[in-house]
Amino acid sequence: MNLLNIEYEKYKLNNGLEVILYKSKNVPLVALNIWYKVGSSNEVKNKTGLAHLFEHMMFQGSLNVPKEMHFKYIQEAGGNLNGSTSFDRTNYYEKVPSNFLDLTLWLESDRMGFMLPSLTQEKLSNQKEVVSNERLERYDNQPYGLAWEIILKNVYPEMHPYSWPTIGYLNDIKNYELEDVNDFFKKYYSPSNAAMVIAGDFETNRIKDLVNTYFGDLPSHKRTIELNYRTSYDIKYKLIEHRENVQLERLYLAWPTTKIFTVDDAKLDLLADVLSGSKSSKLYKEIVYDKELAQDITVFQFSGKYAGHFMISATAKPGVRLSTIKAEIFNILNNVKEIKPEPQVLLKSKNGIRSSFIYSLQNIDSLADQLNYYNFFLNEPNSFNFDLNRYAEVTEEDIQKVAQKYLTEDYIELQILPNNKD
Amino acid sequence: MALDRSIRPLTTEEIDFEIPKIESFELNNIKVFYVERHNLPIIRLSAIFEGGSRLDPDGKKGLVNLFTMMLDEGAGKFNALELSDEFELLGSSFDSSCSNDAIYIGCRSIKENFEKTLELLCTIINEPRLDVNDFEREKRKILTRLIQLKDDGEEIANNIFDYLLFKKNHPYAFPVIGYEEDIINITINDIVNYYRNNFLTKKLHILVAGNITGDELKLYIEKYFGSWQGNEFNTLPKFDISLTQEQKIYFFHKPDTVQTELRIGYLTEKRNKNNYFSKLILNLILGGQFSSRINLNLRENKGYTYGAFSTFSYLKDVGMFFVSTSVNIENTANAVKEIFYELNEIKKGVSEDELDFAKSSLIRKYPSNFENIRQIVSALNRLVTSDLTVDDIYNYVSNIKKVSLVDVKKAAEEHITPDNCIIILVGDKEKMIPQLKELNFAEVIEVDSKGEPIIKN
Repeated sequence: MNLLNIEYEKYKLNNGLEVILYKSKNVPLVALNIWYKVGSSNEVKNKTGLAHLFEHMMFQGSLNVPKEMHFKYIQEAGGNLNGSTSFDRTNYYEKVPSNFLDLTLWLESDRMGFMLPSLTQEKLSNQKEVVSNERLERYDNQPYGLAWEIILKNVYPEMHPYSWPTIGYLNDIKNYELEDVNDFFKKYYSPSNAAMVIAGDFETNRIKDLVNTYFGDLPSHKRTIELNYRTSYDIKYKLIEHRENVQLERLYLAWPTTKIFTVDDAKLDLLADVLSGSKSSKLYKEIVYDKELAQDITVFQFSGKYAGHFMISATAKPGVRLSTIKAEIFNILNNVKEIKPEPQVLLKSKNGIRSSFIYSLQNIDSLADQLNYYNFFLNEPNSFNFDLNRYAEVTEEDIQKVAQKYLTEDYIELQILPNNKD
Repeated sequence: MALDRSIRPLTTEEIDFEIPKIESFELNNIKVFYVERHNLPIIRLSAIFEGGSRLDPDGKKGLVNLFTMMLDEGAGKFNALELSDEFELLGSSFDSSCSNDAIYIGCRSIKENFEKTLELLCTIINEPRLDVNDFEREKRKILTRLIQLKDDGEEIANNIFDYLLFKKNHPYAFPVIGYEEDIINITINDIVNYYRNNFLTKKLHILVAGNITGDELKLYIEKYFGSWQGNEFNTLPKFDISLTQEQKIYFFHKPDTVQTELRIGYLTEKRNKNNYFSKLILNLILGGQFSSRINLNLRENKGYTYGAFSTFSYLKDVGMFFVSTSVNIENTANAVKEIFYELNEIKKGVSEDELDFAKSSLIRKYPSNFENIRQIVSALNRLVTSDLTVDDIYNYVSNIKKVSLVDVKKAAEEHITPDNCIIILVGDKEKMIPQLKELNFAEVIEVDSKGEPIIKN
């Protein structure tokens, strides 16, 4: 589709910083989006959560930006901003009225080059508390909030960098010292380890000069660090029971699959949609709609730079045993392995994906992030059509085949059970 | 020339931004507001049916929400599964929701499939099947959902807060989803009667944004709503609301929690043109965003929480002010103390810098509220739910500019009333309660998950 063909310009500064420019005059806004090629997969066991804690420290000011002022300057400009950390990368972004672009360049370059001089013990102690609270609020104090990290720990091999959660373990978070933050910055926060997208309403020549002025003289201290992990491995069936204060039992099933953008990755996405993406999808219809064994059912393929897994989870209706739900899930999975889905089933999924691609072009900040995402994984920002075609090309036989290939008898089964039951 | 990084780049000129042109027309008592946006081939449409859970009869709390869930469970010649397939084949989506004051129904679609999507939406409105088997299934789904919500501290805190603020008999006092003991008594006849008597209203509003011209839209509305009758709408019942409250602490015991869900607030007047903008600015300084006083104190200074915010929120007949956060349970009392400190402090007034910061933030953010068609439809939505005029949307920036330091101080004096607060705590009482002594509150009352005090013998 022509609409999805995004014309951009990409170049590298002498210090190695990648710059991607995309001009769009639809609204008088501009988005700046930086991906640092570091995430929780660069951590090691017993030192988890550092990449994410570090992301918090990046909002605590830098040499020329006092504490709290990064947020204040952007909010004063009517902009929004944030950052996020995943297994593979950390991103930082601002969206502002187009006349405030200089401000975002100044802020991002100051922390890319001069974050360390302003680092203090007081700031670190405060953000360790904030991050501990983030963990409590989003995981420990959430019903079923620990399921994700239990699955990771079991579905990935022991030393695999996806085997711990990005937020990190509470004990690790509490133990970080200034030196850890210092070292992390020096190791990973170099212009040569980052890519910056600027998207929106700007004037190209002026932007190039500005980017050079603000970022051109930042020193690069390290080359890109590539991890090397096996991307496929075998597991044996394992059952884990976890008790917590919940009312209803929930079942999780997880299989190791494949990393992002491999041939099978898109097929597994579509398999997930065929199983639970709509009311008439196979698992939803049978288990939630017809038999009412479960209140909900969720299926997805998770994939990152180094590996992936396929997950099914279902919350049992009161009085229904997880073993009943599990048996029913496997009946349907066997059925999917034996008989390929009807063409209409796949057509629905593909039409939905096509529409969602078009909707995703509306916001300049999410578009900027998407360009960085494609650049990171495919080294080509303009990959919307390529990505859409990955799905368009999947056949009914493909769905059947990936189900056969990955959804084997060896998987992780996690049962979350109420505390008060035997 | 070397760059002096100590100098923050400033901007003097303001950008050119035109608020999208809002147009409207009427047909058969249907009022349509729309905005044309032609850069992408997509369209969003939303319809507002006045009513909502405030029309739930006594003993049947949850009826209107259950009715809303029934709407897409089959319509016309399609059963529930077929209906969902029809939307998906078009790559379109359907959504519905129920609030205290209204039912919202919407769809979004790519341009080439808009008419077919609209046709399906009309079938849902005009010919919902309201079949008894679907009804029983959706009812069981809600009953299970209510069991699940017992795990959700946030939801419990919100429900207790509403119940106690609205003093339990008011139709805003109960959750939209309803109560278990009521839902089991709702029958399919109640649902059908609601559809006939209350849903098909004469006061229907339709909001549209996207790649469609006014002429095209008029043709569609005439074609699909041309025979719209609608019932004479039952006037919404009016209720007396007492705005005064005694300052008390209410807590709900949720065993073994590591955080406390906290709500502190009171009822206040409904949205009022004379002070809406003063209160908006006041709240932005106090707790409306990351850089506001409450979050900087509780998060960035004390480290008690991942985030703490305050808001003035407005229902049709009343407003509410509240602070909400979840804090690590060891700092429950400290967090309450700091929130009260900030409420008292802001009554002394705000600085010129704070006022300028708040105005700048709101004014410059305005263009990004019109970036996508969902945002545009929500702006149109406020025309209906907050009784605004199109001019109110156009004059937003000039209204913000008019607010003075005196206005903000006056708003704080009149509308920040710490003595009127109720305090809701949801968490493990063994950890929370011992801390509360130092706060010296007159009364600390244990309540159940509804908000009803637990009387100890």
